[in-house]
Amino acid sequence: MTMSRLGTARPTEVVDRSSKVRFRWNGKRFSGFEGDTIASALAAAGEHVFSRSMKYHRPRGILTADYWDPNLMVQVGDDPNVRAGHRLLEAGMDVRAQNVWPSLHRDIKALNGLVGRFLTAGFYYKTFMRPAWLWPTYERVLATFAPGGRIDPDTPHRYHDKRYTHPDVVVAGAGPAGIEAALAASAAGARVLLVEHEHAVGGHLRYSSSASARAALAELRAALDASDVEVLTDSTVTGRYEDNWLAIVQRSHPIAVERLIKARAKMLVVAPGLIERPYVFAGNDRPGVITSGAARRLINLWGVRPGERAVVFAANSAGDAAAADLDRVGVEVAAVIDGRDHRRVSAAQGSPKAVEAVLAGGSRIEADLLVVAAGWTAPTSLLNMAGDRPVYDPAAARFFASDPPGNVLVAGGLAGDGSLDELRAHAAATGRLAAQRAAAVAHRLQARTARARPAEGAEPAWAPDERTPLDRDPHPELYRSDTHGMVDFSEDVGSKDLVAAAREGYDSVELAKRYTTATMGPSQGKLETVNTVAAIAEARGETIAEVGTTVWRPPFAPITLGALAGRVFEPVRVSSIQPWHEANGVTTILAGQWVRPDHYGDPAAEVRNVRTNVGLIDVTPLGKLDLRGPDIPKLLNLLYTNKWSKLAVGKVRYGMMCAEDGVVLDDGVTGRLGPDHYLMTTTSSGAGAIWEWVENWLQTERPDWKVHVTPVTTAYVSINVAGPKARELVGRVSEGVDVSPEAFAYMEVRTATVAGVDGCFMWRIGFTGELSFEIHAPAGHGLHVWEALMAAGKDLGVGPFGLEAQRIMRLEKGHFIVGQDTDGLTLGPSTGLSPLIKLDKDDFAGKPELAWATERRLPVIVAIQPDDAGVVPAEASQIVRGETNEILGRITSSRLSPTLGRSICLGQVEPELAAGGTKLTVLLTSGERISATVMDHHAHFDPAGERLRG
Amino acid sequence: MLLVPCPNCGPRNWSDLRYGGESHARPDPATATPLQWRGYLYLRDNPAGWLRENWYCRSGCRRWFTVERNTATNEFRDPPMPGDKRGAKA
Amino acid sequence: MAESPAFESPVVKRYKAATGALTLSDASAATKWLVRGPEAGAVADRLGASFGSSCAAEGGALVLGSRPGEWIVVGVPGAVAETVAGIDGPEQSDFVTALDWTHGRALFRVTGADAPRMLEKVCSLDWSDAMTPDGAVTSASVAKVTCDIARNDVDAKPSYLIFCDRSFGQYLFDALIDAGDEFGLSVAPADP
Repeated sequence: MTMSRLGTARPTEVVDRSSKVRFRWNGKRFSGFEGDTIASALAAAGEHVFSRSMKYHRPRGILTADYWDPNLMVQVGDDPNVRAGHRLLEAGMDVRAQNVWPSLHRDIKALNGLVGRFLTAGFYYKTFMRPAWLWPTYERVLATFAPGGRIDPDTPHRYHDKRYTHPDVVVAGAGPAGIEAALAASAAGARVLLVEHEHAVGGHLRYSSSASARAALAELRAALDASDVEVLTDSTVTGRYEDNWLAIVQRSHPIAVERLIKARAKMLVVAPGLIERPYVFAGNDRPGVITSGAARRLINLWGVRPGERAVVFAANSAGDAAAADLDRVGVEVAAVIDGRDHRRVSAAQGSPKAVEAVLAGGSRIEADLLVVAAGWTAPTSLLNMAGDRPVYDPAAARFFASDPPGNVLVAGGLAGDGSLDELRAHAAATGRLAAQRAAAVAHRLQARTARARPAEGAEPAWAPDERTPLDRDPHPELYRSDTHGMVDFSEDVGSKDLVAAAREGYDSVELAKRYTTATMGPSQGKLETVNTVAAIAEARGETIAEVGTTVWRPPFAPITLGALAGRVFEPVRVSSIQPWHEANGVTTILAGQWVRPDHYGDPAAEVRNVRTNVGLIDVTPLGKLDLRGPDIPKLLNLLYTNKWSKLAVGKVRYGMMCAEDGVVLDDGVTGRLGPDHYLMTTTSSGAGAIWEWVENWLQTERPDWKVHVTPVTTAYVSINVAGPKARELVGRVSEGVDVSPEAFAYMEVRTATVAGVDGCFMWRIGFTGELSFEIHAPAGHGLHVWEALMAAGKDLGVGPFGLEAQRIMRLEKGHFIVGQDTDGLTLGPSTGLSPLIKLDKDDFAGKPELAWATERRLPVIVAIQPDDAGVVPAEASQIVRGETNEILGRITSSRLSPTLGRSICLGQVEPELAAGGTKLTVLLTSGERISATVMDHHAHFDPAGERLRG
Repeated sequence: MLLVPCPNCGPRNWSDLRYGGESHARPDPATATPLQWRGYLYLRDNPAGWLRENWYCRSGCRRWFTVERNTATNEFRDPPMPGDKRGAKA
Repeated sequence: MAESPAFESPVVKRYKAATGALTLSDASAATKWLVRGPEAGAVADRLGASFGSSCAAEGGALVLGSRPGEWIVVGVPGAVAETVAGIDGPEQSDFVTALDWTHGRALFRVTGADAPRMLEKVCSLDWSDAMTPDGAVTSASVAKVTCDIARNDVDAKPSYLIFCDRSFGQYLFDALIDAGDEFGLSVAPADP
């Protein structure tokens, strides 16, 4: 076949012949016109092979000349798998064939064709199953044979976008039916979003030669321009989910490579038209065998003559129209084989640039083009996704909707056949019905939503479907001729493979699909599903209706991962002091959503400074809940394992929370600021979850209790001032508080003015083991308070310390961290805090499990020191029995202590190993075993706690 | 994405909420047997059909509420959105 | 000691201030109180805004019915103080609490005809006039941060107050700038 650009422009042409576009194809210079697709430009330039097939590397040319064409996948620059039948030509494009080696025309892997009989269904499964140890080798070799383009790891990150929208009606497909439905819905007052897969609206009218079709298209376009309908072209509704949640991919958008639109449509009108189906016969995948739609698009949209001499196989009016178009542009139509008269094409043969049609019966016709119009596939994807199970109608030779939900309506060719006027009338009725039903949904949404404008009047009744159904034109059932041929062009699966699969027992359509991979390639069933089903039905001796079809799942059209990711929303939290940290050499660590100071260069030095002088750490992420009301003690008694009824104003107490299964949930201190006012702290990572946990108890179990809970974590900056000189420093900047040990003891809380900031409070606690004051200052003055402390403590040697230093110091003190030293199985008593589990309380979260746990032998958290002081076992190292691999526990935390000059650990061990002095064997990640000793106390340093009480 | 009918905020995407699972009463901890308590912790009826379940309107009103949902069709007893569920009444 | 130092906004980056058809401004310094009480009763009557709606208090503060039985009172310090004065006092028969939330919440304002379309890029709610009219109050995830949002039109142009946890302030401000970019958003000077 020799394709070329027609000498004179067609009236329907979309190319601008005055505007030349230069590009490269496999390294050579080419040119096309503005408005060309990559494929139409190449076809006009006489190219006839665009790719090699996946398994057999057979040469492939144009088949459908649109988005769904499986033979037109190309690489454009660093963009793989571009659909050349759809992507518009741009100046300077570097287009290359994929899956070819060394070149498109001399492809060595085409030898696969010679050994094709070994590549039948299940070949890979059967051949490469064993021995398993050879799989890495198989994988490496097979990867070089895998189809698809090249991924470039250096591709720059491009901007993708995402938006939500809430239209009344979304119409999927802007052919004549879709446009008409959109216009009618809009005229009835609905907000309408019309989504068209192609680059322009109009559907098949765009490439119809008839004057009446052109007039109808002009009329529809004008009406659309004058309407309020929002039109998205080059966009696809790729998925329909519950309650008409739609995924729409918008491929060309001014600000983004691709944009994902998440639409909550009150009504969905599905009007995608029909997709032309290839016919299965020997040689049906040869270049030069094209669908009737391809012929008409090439001629009428891009002014490309698809060949010199054509044979047309026409089983419907589309085939007749193609024959007329071919004739109109001077292609010799050697024969029209009418499929309605039981005539059949049997095979396509010939040399590379010729197509000889072999008819059933044996007669042959020389040509260079074979145009096939064998029938239609109904793209019911969106209906399937809505829960519908379309039903096959043998008289019309296609599937139809059966019972979609009431908020999904069907229009156009998917609904039936008729004249253009009949289809438009049906679509208009569909649009009106959609608008009526959308009004009912809108009314209910407004009535149910507190913030909305009140709904007026009574809810409109759910409009019944009173549309006159469309007729169904009879169509011959044409799936396979008397020869075998290609079914799935993307995956190189032939009808013979499907028959073989059925014979091997894979005769259910879902099994055959997975076994042969038919319908699993880039076409995703658009062209091959019904032929696949037909081949299996034939092999089983059943009807298509009996075999049924595979389920169409999202996405309807491919979507890039970039569009799915959209813009990156990764919220991060920072404290008010962050600018100071950044100006002072901080290395940050991301803890949950918080950006936190990890250290300022030397964590060990930070530890020494705290132990010697005084240090400041920004602990703003510490969870803080403001509690108000008379029933707070009841709440605290319920949430914590210990007792809270007698906490005096000005006092602070530590508590541990367990879940209802007795597992340690969180811990922290809570202070009583006033008679009915407490501040609860949680772990930094648990702040959000504990707030929800508290709300759950109050709302569902104890709704009568008078307690109001407000998260105030970020309302205060929290600064821990720790070290022997902490009192001196805090005293210098505070007003309204006596910081002397007599007036302000360990585990007490005071309100104060700090650095001139009113409304601060501070408490004395001791996570680091040093004398420490934790100051909570209103966040809008947090940086000021921090800087004032730094300035006031210069002569005291004040310095910042980060999370790492704090973690070292807490480990020196043997304080466990929930989630680090405990896990999802650690029950309360394992922490060593059994005295804080008050089983004589009436009730508290997890009480029954904790009571039963006292009779169980639970793992115990203990302090451990390796006997070799220089060895720091990695966290999660196993504790084992002697030389065996019997696991007796594990190291949960480990550090080198700058204070003690040795390695220190916390770990969980079996109860018989928990006594001080017990010798343990720790299995290092290197495989080496070391000995270690269980300590008498959790605290490696200052076990009596004299420093923090000072 | 399923719309969950929050009694305060109106229908919201389920991703705005936290699923609280099957609604079930907490046994009296003073008298519960291990069997009863662990049933409360771990055992669920998980019917294919109508289920009373809890949701927390996490991004909205921050209130827990209980609704009835048909686990086979995802229809909510009240208030359902009209027209969405096959076989369900509008 | 000296008087209280200046308020530090959570938005610490500097932006070239400009005005245009779509503007974003930082109003974090505004005084904000959170009031809790029965959904119906004396406090609800006094504040005047039911859940989902807002109203202007006599002294000029704005009262938002942010959740059932919860109100946010926002404005200049004097006006807010006037609205919440004694609201949780011992003479109340109902259980009512009020706390100053000024430092806990960042507050931004987005104004312009394209503001609803901009919000569509970062929030899944329906911003149409029917579903979110002037005066509407709701809470929702905005760029994955839970926010309280009040529509409070300015000069007949859609305008939204967006409250979030203070620590998210800088992140959310930048996310809103990114969302507004295609509509020509400019950062207006901070609201007093």
